[in-house]
Amino acid sequence: MAICVDTPRQSADLSKKAGYTFPILSDPNTETIRQYHLLHKGAGPEGHDVSRPAEFLIDSTGTVRWANFTEDIRVRARAEEMLAAAKSIQ
Amino acid sequence: MTERRRNRALTWAWTITIAAFLLNLPPFFLQYPGQQLLPWLAVAAFVCALALCVIALRRAFGQPEVYRGKVSGSIVTVIATLLFALTAIGFWGARKMPETTQAPQPGQKAPAFTLADTTGAQVSLASLLDAPLAGSPRPDGKPKAVLAIFYRGYW
Repeated sequence: MAICVDTPRQSADLSKKAGYTFPILSDPNTETIRQYHLLHKGAGPEGHDVSRPAEFLIDSTGTVRWANFTEDIRVRARAEEMLAAAKSIQ
Repeated sequence: MTERRRNRALTWAWTITIAAFLLNLPPFFLQYPGQQLLPWLAVAAFVCALALCVIALRRAFGQPEVYRGKVSGSIVTVIATLLFALTAIGFWGARKMPETTQAPQPGQKAPAFTLADTTGAQVSLASLLDAPLAGSPRPDGKPKAVLAIFYRGYW
């Protein structure tokens, strides 16, 4: 599941173009992004607030089991890393 | 007068400059192991290129009777400096991000949330963890975990 500040409409377009089958959730008011302390003030186009990139693996009890916070916005978690983290959960 | 020598330091400076600049271009989002080192590698390569520029210029201007490269050396040095400046600005900008010390860490509870999906339906973290999942390894058929990817948006 992915979360960003785009509207459901914009995310629907992205999902369709890229062929994504996972849910993309919209947080245009950055409420959840703030709750997770990921707000990157003024970093979007025209000084809009966005989320800083981050990935979390949350288990069935709602506990974070793995998290990744990139140091460079151009570098993101690799699929292999995320799959390995998921496999480690029983 | 004998033919002057080629300034080899200059050839290397130019080659490394181009290579270093190309390191900044995509494919950043492709899945390479060790990809987080690429931006550092680009900066390191520029430092090497500029050091070679200094060597080349000292040869060209210090021993002009032996080495060529006064004009080309100056041009390469200016271009390398400009491209390094662009790279350094990009490097700095890409790393200017808020601290994550407050963000949920492994072992901590993930804050609950409810947000609209692409169809406008309200989806909560709890509902994602509770929804039946095809191929689930768990006896109750529910997912063992949810991966939450926060991204910048504006695609």
